[in-house]
Amino acid sequence: MPGANRRAGAGAARRPRGARDREEDGEGLEPGAAARDLLRGTSNMSFEELLELQSQVGTKTYKQLVAGNSPKKQGSRPPIQNACVADKHRPLEMSAKIRVPFLRQVVPISKKVARDPRFDDLSGEYNPEVFDKTYQFLNDIRAKEKELVKKQLKKHRSGKEHEKLQQLLQRMEQQEMAQQERKQQQELHLALKQERRAQAQQGHRPYFLKKSEQRQLALAEKFKELKRSKKLENFLSRKRRRNAGKDRRHLPLSKE
Amino acid sequence: MGKVGWQGGHSEGMILAARGTRWAPQTQPLPTQSLAPRKPEEEEEELEETAQEKKLRLAKLYLEQLRQQEEEKAEARAFEEDQVAGRLKEDVLEQRGRLQKSVAKEIQAPASADIRVLRGHQLSITCLVITPDDSAIFSAAKDCTIIKWSMESGRKLHVIPRAKKGAEGKPPGHSSHVLCMAISSDGKYLASGDRSKLILIWEAQSCQHLYTFTGHRDAVSGLAFRRGTHQLYSTSHDRSVKVWNVAENSYVETLFGHQDAVAALDALSRECCVTAGGRDGTVRVWKIPEESQLVFYGHQGSIDCIHLINEEHMVSGADDGSVALWGLSKKRPLALQREAHGLRGEPGLEQPFWISSVAALLNTDLVATGSHSSCVRLWQCGEGFRQLDLLCDIPLVGFINSLKFSSSGDFLVAGVGQEHRLGRWWRIKEARNSVCIIPLRRVPVPPAAGS
Repeated sequence: MPGANRRAGAGAARRPRGARDREEDGEGLEPGAAARDLLRGTSNMSFEELLELQSQVGTKTYKQLVAGNSPKKQGSRPPIQNACVADKHRPLEMSAKIRVPFLRQVVPISKKVARDPRFDDLSGEYNPEVFDKTYQFLNDIRAKEKELVKKQLKKHRSGKEHEKLQQLLQRMEQQEMAQQERKQQQELHLALKQERRAQAQQGHRPYFLKKSEQRQLALAEKFKELKRSKKLENFLSRKRRRNAGKDRRHLPLSKE
Repeated sequence: MGKVGWQGGHSEGMILAARGTRWAPQTQPLPTQSLAPRKPEEEEEELEETAQEKKLRLAKLYLEQLRQQEEEKAEARAFEEDQVAGRLKEDVLEQRGRLQKSVAKEIQAPASADIRVLRGHQLSITCLVITPDDSAIFSAAKDCTIIKWSMESGRKLHVIPRAKKGAEGKPPGHSSHVLCMAISSDGKYLASGDRSKLILIWEAQSCQHLYTFTGHRDAVSGLAFRRGTHQLYSTSHDRSVKVWNVAENSYVETLFGHQDAVAALDALSRECCVTAGGRDGTVRVWKIPEESQLVFYGHQGSIDCIHLINEEHMVSGADDGSVALWGLSKKRPLALQREAHGLRGEPGLEQPFWISSVAALLNTDLVATGSHSSCVRLWQCGEGFRQLDLLCDIPLVGFINSLKFSSSGDFLVAGVGQEHRLGRWWRIKEARNSVCIIPLRRVPVPPAAGS
């Protein structure tokens, strides 16, 4: 066995160096002997032992060991003391070699952090029902503002101001209509949900409408509305015209 | 040597053994070597029996003789040793900044007639220094001249005139306001700095110009020599501190840290200097071998003047009228006296008097402050420099632009001007541009007897 040969050779080399009590058990185990030599320091080991150590441990760690054993030269300047919580009454110690810029901060200025509530996590998720409920008071304000604009419109009956106010009024009305529509959608949604819940309570399995079915329902509602407001003819004619224009695209192009 | 008798480990025995090997004659190899060279043959039998006791007795005799000899020698040396030990102790305490002689309570306010006024400058005096042997005073003024006065006679010993702005080389001198001066502790070199960024080195005895140090980028506002050496520290309105070696005519290094023009600088025997940071609001202690600085805060106004009391404590004055005592271990002042010279102005629009100069008697508890409140105030530092108590006022009209104590503590020299040394905010017409020598009489206070 190579271990035994090495042991014999190492023992023969070590014996003339002097009687040592721990040599008997030190020679028995190769790694033990190397570790003990490490403790003593690589400076005491013979070249043969150093080679053994290197082959055991690997070149990288061996080099680190050798570097670690050699006394390091201390830095010429002692390091500046670290700031400690207990030393908060002591004066601040800084390096004296760093150039100080000409401009300095005389008054502490805090940077204003710009927050966009749309993308801020603090605002939470957008839930339209909750939003409408909590901001109900805005409807009154909007109504009041509409009255104001109408009054202003009575004052300016022609000119640029009139146009601007007209546009503003129109925008307000459109916004109101859109809000109403949204509200209707929510109500519809809520009604469906309640139906589903009732059905589930009765024991039936909940039935979710398909997209096409939802659209049909919406269309049906729209027809009912239009009929009530007597704009059905107008709406249908416009729809036909639009569809005709779209269908004309699919016809083959006539080229001469 | 028989080991049987010496098992106890007698130290005297060891000495004996050492001496015995040297002195005992090598005639007979006795089982135990004895000290006395002459031994009567008849007592050998007795000796063998009581060998240990005889050895002990002889040892004791010998030691007695030695002791007597040493005592005679020691008496002669005792006196010298005490003196040397005392001096060494004083030096150590001085180094550590703990030497403090309570001088303040013995000081008596001098009468106005005792104050000697030396007139000769045409414009306001900006700075002055006293030679270490207290024989002469150098004063510099806004008229760019430096005058050497004699302390006893009060006559002008030498005048360094103003140099023309164009030709700076030929007659050496300053061509702009001299803001600061310093003298080395052996009285050899005098350094002066002016508003044209130059530091001129003069030989103090003959007032010959030796060297010029250039390198600062703005007016030189503070100069100090390190005690016992020829190392010069300078600071300037360019916010840097520079270290020079005057004996070798060389520049050593620059240190940075202040954020505004530095107003004053002082140093003692450590390789450290302390600077007053002006509008910066900081007092900084520069540790030059470690290239680091300690930063102290505490004043609210612009810190205009600073002086070291001992190696560990300093006193500074600001333009909000406050005087502060600092210790090296605390970043805030140990003692702060606001409105030290009172308030000035119309009732309802009162502002504190600016402190234009401070001085402290080295290693004592006496501090002097000057302003333009027509008096110089003497203060006593309390226990551990934690208090500042007013002692007395010395009436003196004008801007007290500079204050210096003589090294023996017998005189306080004040440089008085009609204007502040750094500018022309006010002009006191009643004042005279002069150097005032104020004698400090010391009346030993009898120790208070317990009732």
